[in-house]
Amino acid sequence: MIEQKALAYANMYGVLGALENLCQIDATAKEVLKTLKSKVSLCLSVKDGPCRTFHFSKEGCKITEGSEGCNCKMNFSSPEKFNLLINESKPGMPAKGMIKLLSFLLGPFTKLTDRLTELLRPDEENLKDREFFEESTILTMYTVAGAIAGLANSDSIAKISAGNTVDGDVLLGIKNVAYATIRVKDHKFSVIKEKTENPRAVMEFSDIELANGLFAGTVSTINEMCKGNIALKGMISMVDNINRILDRVSVYLA
Amino acid sequence: MSRFPEYSHQKSREWFDRALKVIPSGVYGHLGPSEGLFLPLDKWPLISSKAEGTYFWDMDGNKYLDFMCAYGPNVLGYNDPEIDAAALEQLKLGNCVTAPSYKMVECAELLCDTVDTADWAFFMKNGTDATTFSIMCARAFTGKKKIVFFKGYYHGNDPWAMKADYPGILPEDVANNIIVPWFDMEALEKAYSETNGDIAAIIAQPYDHGNFYDNRVSSHEEWQRVRDFCDKHGIILIFDDVRTGFRLDIAGSDHFYGIKADIICFCKALANGYNMSAACGREFLRATASSLSFTGSYWMSAMPFAACIATINKMKRLDTPTLFKEKGTKLCEGLKAAGREHGFELKVSGEPALFYLRIANDDSLMLHQEWVAECVSRGLFITSHHNHFINAALTDQDIRLAVDIAEDAFSVIAQRHPEIKKI
Repeated sequence: MIEQKALAYANMYGVLGALENLCQIDATAKEVLKTLKSKVSLCLSVKDGPCRTFHFSKEGCKITEGSEGCNCKMNFSSPEKFNLLINESKPGMPAKGMIKLLSFLLGPFTKLTDRLTELLRPDEENLKDREFFEESTILTMYTVAGAIAGLANSDSIAKISAGNTVDGDVLLGIKNVAYATIRVKDHKFSVIKEKTENPRAVMEFSDIELANGLFAGTVSTINEMCKGNIALKGMISMVDNINRILDRVSVYLA
Repeated sequence: MSRFPEYSHQKSREWFDRALKVIPSGVYGHLGPSEGLFLPLDKWPLISSKAEGTYFWDMDGNKYLDFMCAYGPNVLGYNDPEIDAAALEQLKLGNCVTAPSYKMVECAELLCDTVDTADWAFFMKNGTDATTFSIMCARAFTGKKKIVFFKGYYHGNDPWAMKADYPGILPEDVANNIIVPWFDMEALEKAYSETNGDIAAIIAQPYDHGNFYDNRVSSHEEWQRVRDFCDKHGIILIFDDVRTGFRLDIAGSDHFYGIKADIICFCKALANGYNMSAACGREFLRATASSLSFTGSYWMSAMPFAACIATINKMKRLDTPTLFKEKGTKLCEGLKAAGREHGFELKVSGEPALFYLRIANDDSLMLHQEWVAECVSRGLFITSHHNHFINAALTDQDIRLAVDIAEDAFSVIAQRHPEIKKI
């Protein structure tokens, strides 16, 4: 069962969370950012749900928790309303910086989210292009990592897994390509989109093709683990619990 | 320089690859790599060709001194001649027959004579069957719904015994489960009061032998408090002795801790690898046990009963609990000393018969996994986050060999980790 509040967290931390990485690695996104006349700090605030601010500049995108430093803001009266932004591009209520907000929403923001959708929901033809394939896989990994944290803190089933997860950093990554760290503290999860120096557990996919297959659901995690293509080490109970949350990510973001 | 050359596993790997094509995850469950116990995978044998005593051989002919004992069933030694003879003799007479063999009656009589709390015995095949039967029995007798578990519990693979975040499990399957910290009497009283007394049973292993943390043994006082709580509120106390049964006390692990459970579940060590399990209970639950609709096609097969009788008699003769305590202690002391020699603090916890190991130099288990892998790839089969098992075929010479291989493996990882300073 999908819970709307948990879906809002998965969307905010997973899908929109990947905007940061999109702006970092994607040439199209970088071109869009070049058109910005000034910095835009857009806060998306969901009643009874997540609230984060996306700071866009020519250099990229950074995300911070809460509304501090925002120069435009969009309120959503419920998680359901926010989820419509992701699924049907329906915006929320402008609450601050309306002119800046409207021009940004109708222009760069739409272009960036369209590009993100193109990469996260790729068609077969695009995937034949190696650069696109790699970008798509890397962004999916960051989306999944963000959604794991979002759901661990909000979905009633994933919270059981989080409740059984001990403190520490779990390094999740594609060997020599991209890494994310899932940090667990008192059963609360957060994501740092870089390699941690002292992981307590590691789950590393042997190559980008395998990672893509796992994210697309065309290969089995257990089978690949048994073949030795997924390197595991450390506190395996943490990885076990993250894998269970990963099952929930599939339910929410399928 | 390592004194024990590393094994190669080419043929075993080929067999495992064949398995992967026809069996989900090749070898599923705790005997395979899918539960994260075989890290890194290429150090592990995966598929065996034969076993004898306290050893097994993989498909490449590599020999392993085995401290997992098939995760418990090997209690007297693989292929124990006395047990196999009893089983094979029965096989010639009859095994799975329309009218169950008299061996079943003899087996039940022996359990009632051996197990302190047993006024009757009920047979099935796996540990999960026995725990599920016990839960049904408790609910049928009390007419109540909720079951109390101690944190970190494992009572088998039926949906009621799992958790809502496991694949295929519904929240409804576990809606009547209450989890409390081990021996937390306040939490137990609170659970009782919050459910208006709707608690059918407390089910627990004799002590906390969970995975990924040092095992914590129990005391008579702790169990007595739980026993008194159950008596006060009419709650059935179920001892899940599936893993520990007959390794701590031939009369049952409740007896070991000086109390009497209402139902006790056995499996692993019951018949030295022949497939059967049993639940034994007190007189007041006999009629309820009779009333349950609970049976299976092979549950009254005679060969395992013959093996069980021979196994229990031999365990009594050898006084295996005392033997296991001595052997386990000797082995663990040797392993700890071997670790110290190279700067590793090997922490041993739990009961010596089911010792749990952890290198305490780091809290991630990574060093521990490295050491375990080097041990396994040199012929000492241990594991990284599960308790181990002692069997009666283990000799002092085997213990010396185990310590030698362990020391060698410590030397290998000490070389790899110059940051580890000798203690």
